[in-house]
Amino acid sequence: MPLSEQQIERYSRHIILEQVGGAGQEKLLSSKVLIVGAGGLGAPAGLYLAAAGVGTIGLVDADSVDLTNLQRQIIHHTSDLGVEKVASARNKMQAINPEVTVETYHIKATADNIRKIIPGYDFVIDGTDNFPAKFLINDACFFERIPFSHAGILRFEGQLITVLPRETACYRCIFHSAPPAGAVPTCSQAGVLGVLAGVIGSLQATEAMKYLLDIGDLVTNALLTYNALTLEFRKVRLNRNPDCPLCGENPQITELTDEEQTICDLNDSKH
Amino acid sequence: MDTGKQPILHIPQSVVDDINGYRGQVEKFLKGETSPVAFRAYRVPMGIYEQRTEGSFMVRIRIGAGMVLPYQLERIARLSKTCGNGILHVTTRQDIQIHEVSIEDTPDVLEGLLEVGLSSRGGGGNTVRNVTACPRAGVCRREQFDVAPYAVATAEYLLQFRSSYNLPRKYKIVFSGCSDDCAFASVADLGFFARVQDGAKGFAVYAGGGLGSNPNVAVKIEDFVGDSEIFEVAEAIKRLFDKHGDRANKHRARLRYVLARIGPEQFVKLYKDERREVAKQGLEGLIPEIRATSVSPVEPTEPGDKDAGPKQYAANVEPEKIEGLFTVEIGLNLGDILADDLAEVGQIAEEFGRGVVRTTQLQNLLITGVAGSDVFRVNDRLSELSVDLTATDKPHIVACAGAATCKLGLCLSRGLAQAISDRLADEEISDRIRETSIRISGCPNSCGHHLIADIGLQGRAKRINGRLLPCYDVLAGAKTREADARLAERVGTVPAKRIPDMLAEAFKQDASDPQLLTDLVQRYSNFSPDQLADDYYFDHGSDEPFSLAGRGPGECGAGVMDVIKLDIDEAKEAIQAALLAQWETDLSDHLYKALLAATRSLLVIFGLEPKNDRETFTQFSDNLIRPGWVEPQTQQLLHKAIDWRMGDRASLDDLGPQTTALVRRVEELFLSLDANLKFKAEPIVQEDDPTQAEGQTHTIDLRGVACPLNFVKAKIELEKIAVGEILEVLLDEGEPVRNVPDSFAAQGHEVVRIDGVGDHFCVGVRRKK
Repeated sequence: MPLSEQQIERYSRHIILEQVGGAGQEKLLSSKVLIVGAGGLGAPAGLYLAAAGVGTIGLVDADSVDLTNLQRQIIHHTSDLGVEKVASARNKMQAINPEVTVETYHIKATADNIRKIIPGYDFVIDGTDNFPAKFLINDACFFERIPFSHAGILRFEGQLITVLPRETACYRCIFHSAPPAGAVPTCSQAGVLGVLAGVIGSLQATEAMKYLLDIGDLVTNALLTYNALTLEFRKVRLNRNPDCPLCGENPQITELTDEEQTICDLNDSKH
Repeated sequence: MDTGKQPILHIPQSVVDDINGYRGQVEKFLKGETSPVAFRAYRVPMGIYEQRTEGSFMVRIRIGAGMVLPYQLERIARLSKTCGNGILHVTTRQDIQIHEVSIEDTPDVLEGLLEVGLSSRGGGGNTVRNVTACPRAGVCRREQFDVAPYAVATAEYLLQFRSSYNLPRKYKIVFSGCSDDCAFASVADLGFFARVQDGAKGFAVYAGGGLGSNPNVAVKIEDFVGDSEIFEVAEAIKRLFDKHGDRANKHRARLRYVLARIGPEQFVKLYKDERREVAKQGLEGLIPEIRATSVSPVEPTEPGDKDAGPKQYAANVEPEKIEGLFTVEIGLNLGDILADDLAEVGQIAEEFGRGVVRTTQLQNLLITGVAGSDVFRVNDRLSELSVDLTATDKPHIVACAGAATCKLGLCLSRGLAQAISDRLADEEISDRIRETSIRISGCPNSCGHHLIADIGLQGRAKRINGRLLPCYDVLAGAKTREADARLAERVGTVPAKRIPDMLAEAFKQDASDPQLLTDLVQRYSNFSPDQLADDYYFDHGSDEPFSLAGRGPGECGAGVMDVIKLDIDEAKEAIQAALLAQWETDLSDHLYKALLAATRSLLVIFGLEPKNDRETFTQFSDNLIRPGWVEPQTQQLLHKAIDWRMGDRASLDDLGPQTTALVRRVEELFLSLDANLKFKAEPIVQEDDPTQAEGQTHTIDLRGVACPLNFVKAKIELEKIAVGEILEVLLDEGEPVRNVPDSFAAQGHEVVRIDGVGDHFCVGVRRKK
């Protein structure tokens, strides 16, 4: 579909870019991105991808908006208290850009349902806040061969990695499995700087757009860390792990299962 | 100048500069330094149009308020004889056109006109067009006051700005001296109606009217503005139009589409906002003085004659508001007059009138200020010329140029005008209907203003048994009065050949009776397709069967669209019929019919009119299958259809889905046609012919588009052409031409040239990657 006059105007600042152009914008318009978790990370990612004209954006989240979310989950407003997060987020995204299709899944992502949701999406953004969900997304994207962006935030620090399954290091190459419950504090226990979610979630959206447009270099085979107190970014190089239980030479994980550890007893996004 | 009299409209210096630069531009074009597309974009706003015959041009001279001086007429006449065909044409917007000028001669014409204070700048294109006024402004007994000075001053004000020549579409302004609206201000982009309020002169103002497609009556935007406020009003509407007019789609660009899109309330609000802004900033440029335009009136020498006298003896004489003075009307056949006659009309006006000749919206001429005692002498002199002095005795016929000379035309409107006129000449016409107007447009574009006629006729084509039948929609019920304006509505469609008889019958009885006309139209539109005489398939004044061959991508082609739709509808009906068919033979029949109609439909945009089925299929194959517009397998489908037709194939019953798909694709292509009758739909198969790519020029006109959107749009266009090809981008001077080439260069493309073409630039960019 050639761009309409309105689209040319709306996306003009993209089209001007040498690496995007009309063809790139058309590519974005025909792309599909899934965001798991409509919380702190999902908020900026959803808003920017909608604004950018990513044609279809999926949202997975089982929660409703509560007061503690509003300090960082900027896609939700005070008037949304009690509203399903996916509905609240969809409304804002469509207010920004009505031509974007937002597909909502008001469910917790599990081993049983996630493989029904993610096929068909070009890229997945992991905006979840607990380890079991992160491993689940990593594994599901591996089996479905869908690239994704992993990220995590806590206190003043965030981390980010983009995974091209079977090509670059995956989440399990670094962390074999979820830590025992309680070993790592959660946001509700340890706290998190609200704007940190904005920085890291925006970086995830950046990775998604670069992947869809096939431009620049993705943060693959490297873990990017960010410290808001020092404003330092660091890239830790790493490689695929031959002993990775998922993508290594002798994989032990051959089917999707839910990890045991599920203690994120907080009022944050659960999946 | 051969007289001391100043021209009525003072041409602004910027226009003088533009005309002085014209010769250089033509020379550059003739040397091949400017591409034809870029030159045309420069030429049209200069008021120079190409006629239907290639290489032959028309120069449209603006006659402000329709007032022209004898020495100006003399010059127009001489230029027409030396550079044109010796026949001048008065338009419905009071312009005078010189026809059949070669491009090499156009600089002589423009410079010759400038010497006598005339110009064609803004005569065409997306510009402020001629500002018109009542043809009898200053002498009319009904007028509130003389509006001509205001029309002239408004033109002088707007014409000084370059921005007035680069609007989303044309901008037509009209001044009417009273509510009767002889000037048609109620259907203009901006219409002023004279008003006197508490002793002060001023105007009620209307905007957003227009004829053509989606016609509309203007809405009121001001109850009363003082006469010094007209510039502010005209400027505010210009800005509103500039901001909100749809530059992307020429067909929906006129101000009336803005009005239709946002509704009258919002429209008036936007106008008021602009006006406040204009008032706050103050007007730019020179503010013209409002000068009396009427040359000092002749004192009536023999007041004894008074009004009753001359009128008794001559139908073409009308008393003026000064007792004892008269206006003499000179009827022209569809606005045409011989050059020598035009010069002589000027002479007569010089000797007997006020030394001014008027052009009228009915395409006639007026000499005003003739003393009662001179009326006969004036008519004596006029009777030596090839003009009509009884024109006001008959229903008045106005016709557009029609298919004979217009690239858009569908029917030969002038042929019909002649036929009606001949037919009515034999009839006794009652006094009552003398003022009835018949207006004919050869296509839906309404250049003949059929929507404001007492009886309007609009050309269209019908397909009967596979042949094209020239027809006219008959319209009636129009009113053009301030605040009570109404456009004519369609009563029915009658074959072209039956129109003169129908009108004769209408006039014998009472043409103004709507019921009578409705009955007549019904009777005359009723025919059995098989009993139509062969003669019906020939348009008036043509000895060839009616055809659309040669009609092609004009500036709009609205009539052509109708014909395509006709065929597509026929194809769809045949598909429907095929689905319901009970017998195999019927099914094959219907499918074949669908195939034929579908393949025939789009050929007209290539200027083709196939004579038989085989030709239809061959032309479809050459123009649509081969270039990849439809599935390549369509070729086999057509072969099978021909086989069946020849009896080599038993049935077409297996081809239903393929045929349906083809009809759908053809309709898709039809719906994607743009203003140049090019498909905007993606081709199914990309043409891969490097030799063709080499010579092709791609052009995009981005004048009027601001930075950075102009670059954005140019870039999208560049992505559509192959690497190595060149895109020509037309850009405004200033920021656009400074920025856009740099931006392309910065992104690694090659700027091969930047040519100045008058007030804009043509930038050539080679796609490098």
